[in-house]
Amino acid sequence: MDFKSLLLEKEFIMLDGAMGTMLQKAGLPLGEMPEILCVTHNEQITDIHKQYINAGSDIIYTNTFGANSYKLKNSGYTVNDIISSAVKAAKKAAENTDTLVALDIGPVGQLLEPTGSLSFEEAYNIFKEQIVAGKDADIIVFETMTDLLEIKAAVLAAKENSDKPIICTMTFEENKRTFTGVCVSSMAITLSGLGVDAIGVNCSLGPEELLPIVEEMSFWTNLPIVVKPNAGLPDPNSNTYDVVPKDFTKSIIKMLEFGVKFTGGCCGTTPEYIKELSSELKKEKFKRIVNEKKSVICSASTTVLIDQPRIIGERINPTGKKLFKEALKNNDMNYILNQAVSQVQGGANILDVNVGLPEIDEKAMMVRTVKALQSVVDVPLQIDSTKPDVIEAGLRIYNGKAIINSVNGEEKSLESILPLAKKYGASVVGLTLDENGIPKTAQGRFDIAKRIVERAEQYGIGREDIFIDCLTLTASAEQEGVMQTLKALHRVKTEIGCRTVLGVSNISFGLPNRELVNSTFLTMALQEGLDLPIINPNIESMTGAVKAYKVLANIDENSRSFIESYNEFTPNKNIDNISDHDINYAVINGLKEEGAKATEELLQNIDAMDIINDKLIPALDKVGEDFEKGKIFLPQLIQSANTAQACFDVIKKKLTAENNIAVSKGKIILATVKGDIHDIGKNIVKVLLDNYGYTVFDLGRDVDPQLIVDTAIKHDIKMIGLSALMTTTLKSMEDTITLVRNTKELQNPDGSSKCIVFVGGAVLTKDYAMKIGADYYCKDAKESVDTAKKVLG
Amino acid sequence: MIKLSSLNRHECIRYLGDAKVEMNSKMEKLLDICEQEVLKNADPKYLYKEVPANIEELFEGNDIKNHLQGCNKAVIMCATLGNRIDNLIRKTQLLDMAKAVVLDSFASVAIEQVCCSVDEMIAEKYTKKYLTFRFSPGYGDFPISLQKQFLNILDAPRKIGLCTNDNFLLTPTKSVTAVVGISDKEIEQRKRGCAVCSLKGSCRYRKAGSHCGF
Repeated sequence: MDFKSLLLEKEFIMLDGAMGTMLQKAGLPLGEMPEILCVTHNEQITDIHKQYINAGSDIIYTNTFGANSYKLKNSGYTVNDIISSAVKAAKKAAENTDTLVALDIGPVGQLLEPTGSLSFEEAYNIFKEQIVAGKDADIIVFETMTDLLEIKAAVLAAKENSDKPIICTMTFEENKRTFTGVCVSSMAITLSGLGVDAIGVNCSLGPEELLPIVEEMSFWTNLPIVVKPNAGLPDPNSNTYDVVPKDFTKSIIKMLEFGVKFTGGCCGTTPEYIKELSSELKKEKFKRIVNEKKSVICSASTTVLIDQPRIIGERINPTGKKLFKEALKNNDMNYILNQAVSQVQGGANILDVNVGLPEIDEKAMMVRTVKALQSVVDVPLQIDSTKPDVIEAGLRIYNGKAIINSVNGEEKSLESILPLAKKYGASVVGLTLDENGIPKTAQGRFDIAKRIVERAEQYGIGREDIFIDCLTLTASAEQEGVMQTLKALHRVKTEIGCRTVLGVSNISFGLPNRELVNSTFLTMALQEGLDLPIINPNIESMTGAVKAYKVLANIDENSRSFIESYNEFTPNKNIDNISDHDINYAVINGLKEEGAKATEELLQNIDAMDIINDKLIPALDKVGEDFEKGKIFLPQLIQSANTAQACFDVIKKKLTAENNIAVSKGKIILATVKGDIHDIGKNIVKVLLDNYGYTVFDLGRDVDPQLIVDTAIKHDIKMIGLSALMTTTLKSMEDTITLVRNTKELQNPDGSSKCIVFVGGAVLTKDYAMKIGADYYCKDAKESVDTAKKVLG
Repeated sequence: MIKLSSLNRHECIRYLGDAKVEMNSKMEKLLDICEQEVLKNADPKYLYKEVPANIEELFEGNDIKNHLQGCNKAVIMCATLGNRIDNLIRKTQLLDMAKAVVLDSFASVAIEQVCCSVDEMIAEKYTKKYLTFRFSPGYGDFPISLQKQFLNILDAPRKIGLCTNDNFLLTPTKSVTAVVGISDKEIEQRKRGCAVCSLKGSCRYRKAGSHCGF
């Protein structure tokens, strides 16, 4: 029997129970890796499988939960050794029965970035090796997963290297989140989008505790649901489980109304449980769940249902922004992340991500940016590029269900973008234009929208996942076009039933008081049915219009959100009244806004460099001195530094506007060395160096020595700062320094090094620093600044 | 389950530098906010398990052997504040480095408090025995690489989501692994101290002429 006919023929599909519990019962030697028993005690493993088959299992899981290259390192066995023996043992047990064998794959055992240091690509390769080794199994099962990105890597590895059915179960805590914070809805939406065959829950809790999780899951998916609970909660003292087969079965039966099709047991369960369960389920009927289709996207921890207007933040986009372009060229991720965080604080529900710039490798930049963004913001992302390969790269490593921006009515666009939306389970923005340009009339745009929806449906993408953009034209140039856009939008919404999206700010080009025009147009569009305005959420009148609309359209119940936003609102807050403080006072007391204000005023009469050298630097020096003497705390030093940064920003803005060269006292690379993930110390050093006017190339943590060398060569940088927190990673520091010293491009003609390397970190000493070839040892951030001054001036 | 209700502010201030610094109201307020945020985001989880005290491959090095001298059993343990604290500190570093530093210090205080609670639990379980203090991989010549084995034995990746990376650093970062020795007979009260500390020679407290408190 194959998986498909099993699904059709059986009312319920019985999985097996615990393997570990049975190994223990069989008295097998329990080392660190029970998977090794597949090789050493193959027959006993077959025997355990047989017991489950006799108890009623339709699908048995191979004993390969941890059989991956990371866990097997130093075990003396290869992934192939273990998995092929394990599949053989299971296949042998299933001989002459209808039972199917599932290749069982658990988490890698190491956390993925950003909490851990395993990359998505590494995880993919680890899973791929397991999947290839298990080619003789009938089904692939991923279970006990807690990280949505890890299971996504696993599913992609399975889809791209086999054609077997895929079952995915994750492990939730009682708070309905996994250890890494994944919520039930995001899990269900993302995995359903990736096209797996069944999803569900296993381990961590007993069947009673899993019920609310299963209930919620069934709201977000139409896939058959899998439930494989523990035999209750483990007793903290004895580590045993206490729910007996009868009660276990009763609890599972309570969950059947939520679409449970597959069921079995996890830790603590035995063939007795499976037997009881399978005989009781013969009296029950499977209930298929058919949910209303939802327009919904998500990150791993946040689900955004598009059942009301949701704001897409537009600011991660270099078009027309000098500082943003500069940041992209210099790989300045912090600049981009700040844009992201401030938009979310401003009220963005979704962030558009566009990093297209002719001079850079857009694909690599998209990957870096998406990874960095999802490490600091919880909102879902919209991957925005004109290039299909850039879109695919972004979708691939995106942790959740994204939106693609965009496809249009041109055949070339449809056939390159729609398959990506299908494969990665993304929603997609459809622009109402084609090879003939943007139709002038509402009818023309409506027709293109219809065509996009029809083509998408041919690819198996439902219209709930297509967001149509009827395109905003500039009112000053094509005044009669404005109402055409809105008419088209209204018809798309009501006649096709798609959600609508619109970039709003274009409307006012060439007009005075653009903000007024923009917010008025936004309100008109919302009234016509706009769901996804793409705006700058940090402009209060725009975000405010959406909030007010939700009150008036009876969406914001009892105006609760609106009141929350504006309860303490005082229009036009200004800080003019404190401008009598000078820069010196502001920096020493860590008063950011006052510092910026004072700088603005000074700039009217005093030269920028004079402000820096005569005001800012002396103030910072005073603070540094106080810190050294133990008069102030580290956080106070940082607050002062941040105030200086705010002053610098004002100066920088003015100089950029006047097209002057940026103020910089010199370039410095900072990195936490390979293998080390503790980077707060390095980040403090960065803040201080920034604020003293140095240009810092922050390469992050866990940084490959080669990247440091490459960056130094590319940007002609002579000063490199390295940090390492642990004794184990000091070796990486030494390796990095050695590579810097041995790289020809970083040497003078006489062979001496062009680079000055300074190092720091908790376990480092001056002697050791010198021993591994550093030029300077800096005991704290303040000393790093002193060193930079010495070296770069 | 361990629930933290407050965090030791004195310790936090010590981590931040020097307890002699005079606090001003702005710093007090920052500390208040950060303490609350750490309490809100910490999700303390722990595991412990009894093992024989003579497992050669688990208790490698002279320092741990001295530590466990006279003990027939040992309890290995691990604890973590979970992933959310790491996320919080990471995000805050972008917005407000000063606040991030205070959060980081409070988080270190919090994981230490969690470990003390686990100590108490273990002490309660072994009322008639004599216990050593907690000794962690990385102290003295006790290799930090053993953290991976500890976590495997405790099944920590699966049970509480605590793992190591390739360099045996714990992830989430605000986490601890340790051993407590158990003896039937009274044991000489070994003090924690600089002699077994891996920061010997580089510790900032010693340089300032003081002591970290252990």
